[in-house]
Amino acid sequence: MTAAPPPVFRLENLRKTYGEGEAAVHALRGVNLTVEEGELLVLLGPSGSGKSTLLNILGGLDRPTAGHTYFRDLDLATAPDAEVTRYRRLNVGFVFQFYNLIASLTAAENVELVTEIAENPMPAREALALVGLAARTHHFPAQLSGGEQQRVAIARAIAKRPTVLLCDEPTGALDVATGVHVLKAIVTANERLRTTTLVITHNADIARIGDRVVRFADGTIRSVEKNPQRISPDELRW
Amino acid sequence: MRLSPLDRKLLRDLKRLRTQAVAVAGVLACGVALFVMATGMYDSLERARDAYYDSARMADLAVSVVRAPDPVAEELALLPGVNALEARVSGIGLLDLAGKSDPVSARLVSLPPDRRPRVNDVLLREGRWPNPARDNEVLINEAFAEANALAPGMQLRALIYGRYRVLEITGIASSPEFISAVAPGALLPEPERFGVIWMGREALGRAFDVDGAFNDVVLRLAPGANARDTIAAIDARLARYGGRGAYGRDRMLSAQFLADELASLRTMAAILPPIFMLVAVFLLNVSLSRLVATERSNIGLLKSFGYSNAAVAFHYGKFALAFGLLGAAVGVVTGRLIGNYMAILYAKVYRIPALQFDAELHIYVWAVVVALVAAVLGAAQAVRRATQLPPAAALAPPAPTSFGRLGATVERAARNLDGKTRMVVRRIARFPRRAATTVTGIALGLALLITSQHFPLSMNHIVDVTFGVAQRMDATLTFAETADDQILTEVARLPGVFSVEPMRAAEVIFTAGSRQRRDTLMGLPENAYLFRVLDQKMMPVAMRGDGVTLSYNLAQKLGVTVGDTVHMQATEGQRASADLLVIAVVKPYLAGAAYMELNALGRTLREPGRVNAAYVLFDSARREALDRRIKELPMISGVSFLDSASASMRKLLSQGSGFFSYMFIVFSCLMAGGVAFSAARVTFAEQERDLATLRVLGFGRREVSYVLLAEIGALLIIALPLGAVLGAALSRWLMTQFQTDLFTFPFITDSAAYGKSALFVVLAVVGAALAVRRGVDRLDMVGVLKSRD
Repeated sequence: MTAAPPPVFRLENLRKTYGEGEAAVHALRGVNLTVEEGELLVLLGPSGSGKSTLLNILGGLDRPTAGHTYFRDLDLATAPDAEVTRYRRLNVGFVFQFYNLIASLTAAENVELVTEIAENPMPAREALALVGLAARTHHFPAQLSGGEQQRVAIARAIAKRPTVLLCDEPTGALDVATGVHVLKAIVTANERLRTTTLVITHNADIARIGDRVVRFADGTIRSVEKNPQRISPDELRW
Repeated sequence: MRLSPLDRKLLRDLKRLRTQAVAVAGVLACGVALFVMATGMYDSLERARDAYYDSARMADLAVSVVRAPDPVAEELALLPGVNALEARVSGIGLLDLAGKSDPVSARLVSLPPDRRPRVNDVLLREGRWPNPARDNEVLINEAFAEANALAPGMQLRALIYGRYRVLEITGIASSPEFISAVAPGALLPEPERFGVIWMGREALGRAFDVDGAFNDVVLRLAPGANARDTIAAIDARLARYGGRGAYGRDRMLSAQFLADELASLRTMAAILPPIFMLVAVFLLNVSLSRLVATERSNIGLLKSFGYSNAAVAFHYGKFALAFGLLGAAVGVVTGRLIGNYMAILYAKVYRIPALQFDAELHIYVWAVVVALVAAVLGAAQAVRRATQLPPAAALAPPAPTSFGRLGATVERAARNLDGKTRMVVRRIARFPRRAATTVTGIALGLALLITSQHFPLSMNHIVDVTFGVAQRMDATLTFAETADDQILTEVARLPGVFSVEPMRAAEVIFTAGSRQRRDTLMGLPENAYLFRVLDQKMMPVAMRGDGVTLSYNLAQKLGVTVGDTVHMQATEGQRASADLLVIAVVKPYLAGAAYMELNALGRTLREPGRVNAAYVLFDSARREALDRRIKELPMISGVSFLDSASASMRKLLSQGSGFFSYMFIVFSCLMAGGVAFSAARVTFAEQERDLATLRVLGFGRREVSYVLLAEIGALLIIALPLGAVLGAALSRWLMTQFQTDLFTFPFITDSAAYGKSALFVVLAVVGAALAVRRGVDRLDMVGVLKSRD
């Protein structure tokens, strides 16, 4: 029997408060969670339940008010700014609800923007092929549909072969058919590259594509459930 | 009063956009300030001059005469067109000032015994009027008193018409006739070496041996009088007494200096403010276009609520008006402050009573109107876009900005660039008009600075050429009267003198067709060495006897060129007249005249062998001995030393130029910095999301700052050579615009002028860009990514 690999993330009593005194908003009220290597985790919960705050802290975009966020041995809560930037550069791939592509760069160039600064990236074309966009590499964002733009964003996120892929409502702005395409791209990345993936959604159906489902409410984790079987995005209906 | 919700929105938006507003309004304010200052100063100076001329009854015409009996003056006063007339005694005397070895000369002017002068009144500034019963009491002019530390109660030793007299100063005075007092034969005032002395008519008449007669007439014309007719009548009446021809204010040097200054103020007011206004219009256009773009959904909402197009247009138009009003207010206040300071400088130089900066209301009104019009023009396009947006389109999310590919060549080159640089290149190519605005604004700022650096260069060059290449004498000795050339032998015998060159000058009237011009005709030896007339290539022009060489200004005024003939009428001596062939036209920097070979001029004037002045070289070790000897010689009425003339001229030309160059540096840097700040702000606002995305993707602050600053840096690099070319062209053009009868400004260039200006502009742009760059440190990665756009 071999020892299990160490977890990718280890969160200890994580708290995040915005504002002070009576106006204080407690976004996270003591979250404990462990995320294993290669796992696809779905964070489910209503708006304002704290899931986006958690994702931002995991991505090194925000810092907790109290507690610890370990990425392997690095405590993101206390690491210096430059260290956190380096963590983002080498380990994190982001996918956002509104794509956030650079309008002045083509699909391939948006991906190359990241591969230029990564240590062991895959070629931009390969990343785009992985999300089914091999034919659209030279198009500018303005020439692509919403779904295509989101898939470029996913290609950009995975091209650096990140350790973790963080997706915040990746299908939020898309229709069902397009959303399925996007989720397939995320699942493909997770399966082929063994990228630890966290997907935020408030759509309970989508939760079925993950290994585990973490339910959020009011800044705390209400439950963590293991899906008996991951289903393919193709089988989703919502 | 309750503000409408839209107005409250306006106030809050203005507060949010305050830095942007300051940049745009700052550039606008520079234009307004220059306009208020230059136009206001022009008006104030012109008004103060006219008031002074009126109250002190400045002469319209003047004429000198060898000697006319007093009763002739009464006849002259009755001639048609003459309003008031003063017949005076006037002449040049040498002074021996205590503590000053170089001789100093002065124009002596008579005061009527029992009344104030009817024309060219004298204003007592200090002390008392001379007692008519005491013939050695005098007044001296203010500038001369100040330059030589003379005060009432002190005494002067004067050599008048061969006799020494001790004069007692009773008061310090000024007169519109001598706002700038210029020695005969000199070009510029030198208060240290030339003064004006007013003394009793009788005493001065006796001193100059014109008892019961006069040799100088100044008069004022009746309203509506024809100057030409009056001049003709006076000349006819004075001909038999040796009248030298009446002339107007255009030949009175003091009046001409002032007219020149007014002309350059007018030029400045006409040229500089529009440049700033133009840049402000572009800046407003860029800022407001950006505002409308960010306000897209708000515009949709307002329209969907039922606000009319006009209401929406007015709302956004108010932004422009607010920017315009801010610029106008700051500009008016700054313009007034600069104007007040300039008035103090002018008052020091010209000593015009009651000269203060007093711009009339209409100037301020114009300044505000022009600022508002500039603002509205700048906003027009953005406001039109706001009203044209259909509500549904405005409410929908904007499509990503479309970036087409650049031209194939540029794309091929771009392939070698990294992603960040490609972003920069594509943005510049995608918004060419905005890039052009930034480049133009920075380039104009640089061009203005370069221009301001060129004026001192030009002035120094004038002095260097005039007193180094053209004039090479150590001193000019002016004779009391036109003298026989035997006098040169005497001059050569003066202590230390080892080289003498003669000069003959005659006041003549040139006529070509219907054009007439009174000017000096100078006679110089064929290969003059000490006083040389130079052509445009700085080569000496040989004096010829077969015709006349004219200065460019004079040739222009007469409308003649080489090969034409001009008629010359001498105003003195034999009053000879002749038709002369124009054989050359030269362009001297300082008040040019007409030139002929000395002997040929003598023959033409029918007075051969006569001279007016001598240029000399002397052994500087014997200067004191020479000074002493000159003070004893009645034949010499004035001495001008090249070293002191050159120093006075440098001083005169640099008066106030230090302040001007400082003002230019501030204004030009404000323009370049304001433009760069606006451009960087708009770039930052538009790219905030992209920059935040880059940060999220793992780019460091420095790398993200690069994307922001490389754009402004690239535009700066384009603007620098463009600004240098513009600056050279603007300088060259302005030199011709500031040209007057007295001065021609050559375009002299120097790489330091460009280098220094570029350095200032680069500092201003870098400062502005770094101020915007601080935004990168405050990028809200989470917030930006959560929002749609």
